[in-house]
Amino acid sequence: MMDETEILPVVQFIKALAPFDRLSEADLLQTCQSLTVGYYSKSLGELLLDHDNLQLYIVRTGAFEVKGSQGELIDRLGEGDYFGFPSLLSGDEISNQVIILEDSLVYHLSASTFDSLRQRYKEFDQFFNRAYAKRMRQLSSFGAVANEALASTSHIHHLMSPQPVSININEPIQRAAQIMQQHNVSSILVIDNQKLSGIITDKDLRNRVLAQGIDVELPVHKVMTGQPMTISADTLVFDAMLAMSEKDIHHLAVVNDGIPIGVLTSSDILRAQSSEPQLLINQLNRQTTVAGLIQVSHQIPQLFQHLVHADHRAHDVGRILTSVTDVLTRRLIEINQQLLGAAPIAFCWLAFGSQARQDQMGCSDQDNGLLLACEPNEAEAAYFANLTKAVCKGLNECGYVFCPGNIMAQNPKWRLSLEKWQQCFHSWVKAPEPLALMHASIFFDMRCIYGPQTLFSQLQQHVLTATKNNDIFLAAMTNNALTESTPLGFFRKFVVERDGSEVKGIDLKHKGSALVNDIARIYALSVGLEEVNTAKRIQALIETKILNPKDGSNLADAHEFIAHLRLSNQGYQAQHGVSMSNFLIPQHLSSLIRHQLRAAFHVVHDAQSGLKLQFTRSF
Amino acid sequence: MSRVKQLWRKHRLTKQLQRLSQPVLQNYQKLSCDLMQPNHCAIPFVALDLEMTGLNPKTDQIISIGIVPINLDKLQLAQAQHKKLQIKGSVGDSAIIHGIVDHQLEQGVDTRTALLWLLTQLAGKVIVAHHGHLDIQFLKTQLNYHFGESVIFCYIDTLTIERERWLRQHDMIYEGCLRLGASRHRYHLPVYGAHSALIDALACGELFLAQRSAMGNGVNIQQWIELK
Repeated sequence: MMDETEILPVVQFIKALAPFDRLSEADLLQTCQSLTVGYYSKSLGELLLDHDNLQLYIVRTGAFEVKGSQGELIDRLGEGDYFGFPSLLSGDEISNQVIILEDSLVYHLSASTFDSLRQRYKEFDQFFNRAYAKRMRQLSSFGAVANEALASTSHIHHLMSPQPVSININEPIQRAAQIMQQHNVSSILVIDNQKLSGIITDKDLRNRVLAQGIDVELPVHKVMTGQPMTISADTLVFDAMLAMSEKDIHHLAVVNDGIPIGVLTSSDILRAQSSEPQLLINQLNRQTTVAGLIQVSHQIPQLFQHLVHADHRAHDVGRILTSVTDVLTRRLIEINQQLLGAAPIAFCWLAFGSQARQDQMGCSDQDNGLLLACEPNEAEAAYFANLTKAVCKGLNECGYVFCPGNIMAQNPKWRLSLEKWQQCFHSWVKAPEPLALMHASIFFDMRCIYGPQTLFSQLQQHVLTATKNNDIFLAAMTNNALTESTPLGFFRKFVVERDGSEVKGIDLKHKGSALVNDIARIYALSVGLEEVNTAKRIQALIETKILNPKDGSNLADAHEFIAHLRLSNQGYQAQHGVSMSNFLIPQHLSSLIRHQLRAAFHVVHDAQSGLKLQFTRSF
Repeated sequence: MSRVKQLWRKHRLTKQLQRLSQPVLQNYQKLSCDLMQPNHCAIPFVALDLEMTGLNPKTDQIISIGIVPINLDKLQLAQAQHKKLQIKGSVGDSAIIHGIVDHQLEQGVDTRTALLWLLTQLAGKVIVAHHGHLDIQFLKTQLNYHFGESVIFCYIDTLTIERERWLRQHDMIYEGCLRLGASRHRYHLPVYGAHSALIDALACGELFLAQRSAMGNGVNIQQWIELK
């Protein structure tokens, strides 16, 4: 009766909104045609939600404010935002109040259409089910790429899929297709008496079965490629690539004495090619001069760019970048020791903050210190002064700028014996004053980069014993962590803070990642957990039942999401020649990302409330 | 509106009903009498827009009709409809304005059928149109031409409402200030790039909702209903 062009203004608007952008053309049109249109003048003051006629409100133009039962600001909504869905999802009584801030044109989607779209589109359901029950991970496209391949790329056994999917030679063709579907693979090995007999690929099923109209009940050996090309597990990646391109094939069976042990596909190799960090690390390890290290480190920004563009998980990017920093630091220590002579007493090079947590990003400065096995005499002290000065200078020249807060091993204040470090931590824990708490957030995330692990463990165990179950210290840490909170969300070109004020952008580090780091750190210290990486801390807290699995994994996902956004933001900045920062301008975000980020903020905010309840015994 | 005026209107419509012979026209007129109840609280409306080959009802023809019903202050997109009409001759230069070219009208319905369809759709509802006088004149001319008689239409002109609201705040009317787009702008309604009878009916319907919302609940909408 109607074609799309006829209510074009409505269709065009709805089509651009997440999650409606996921609907098929036909469903989109049908959804648009089912809408009713209403207008709410500012002079009415309030929009009364009708419990008997629940619907989704889609703001076409104008602005609303949602307030909770206590009158607290819950949300501010503008063009393209939604309200009314919590009651639609839960069926609960409406307790929120909707204030009309500006004259508004609103589309209404009926409960029945809403429910039917939820049933038919998983993404649609997940989008609105941000009752945090559903995991945010499913919403997002992090492009989770297994970075295990980064460990080594020289032999293919790191890249191949072990436990290959296989089928017996006498089974019907259809069964082969079903198994491939089940395992979501593009090829299947055909086995005869445990030995490899052939291979069938997606392409074979198309060309030799479907196109020829072959009966799918016939045994697989009728259509397989017999005597397929095989390689052994210790083949070099380079040779495997060569073989594939020469024969124009995309699947290689990996065999050991004729028995299949894996499959290597061209996409496995493609994926592994993003593993240039290994090359960079090898290059760093080969350098024998500081000048050489500086030269090689020029590639680090480029590596960062590649990792961001490959859309790796932020967790992995942080780990990779940090491992480069670690190697660089180690090489600087070793080379300078060759210049200055061997160290007179045992020592550990400590990393604090982001390097310790293994979540370094595009613009990291140094945070480090030195741990000495015993109190040095004058000559020994001079040696370490020279060594640390040279290493910090080297790091600075390699792009890891001097710490503005002077938390560096070259500062005598942070170059201490085990005993002095212990006293230092002890004084912070005992008297948690503002400066001590500021230090705590940096120093309590520490990792040993160089030196004997046993020495480091002595310090770490001492610290954890002091903090574990230390209610006063933990309460002080918690109060300190709660001085910052995530924004409420977005409104037009602005970020809305929880007090209703509007700012132009958001510092994703200090109003996002850092808050999650704080939360994970406090829980970790409270139970004496050695782990310092935030994601691993959260994982360990879930396993030890300190955090419940739902809240824990939501927090981990929110952390990953915010970190991922920080990375892509930095990637964007680098690409556009803007100096790198953690400052995000909301206009650069798509409708979907805005909604997801808002949900991530909610998760972090809830986790902060949980923290408050746990450690300060107040609401 | 005074009760006397209300009764007079009803009387006019009843008289007209008695003169009509076509059943579809009779039906429209009969249901329009019922709309004139003094305390009718939930009057159904229907936003209407016509595209014509020109502005003269005597010589120009209707080429498309768009309608969007309004129930309980909500535009019902599910019941929105659009009809293209066959015309005599060519749309000529008017295609520049409405974008409809001759071959698109070949599948259109003939005017007589379209008029009967439209009267059924409009029956029991008050028409809402921007600069509605012109649309009504076209409809009346065509009804007279095809059936030898015409109904009295019940309609609200959003332009009339807008003129009155404008003059309450301003001393004079500027060129173009009461046009559909300019009026919508004052209510912060979105700008629609595309135009068709249906989109303009939707645009007019939204303007009507905005006007009502701005006037508040105290205003009796019956005072704006015109008969022609």
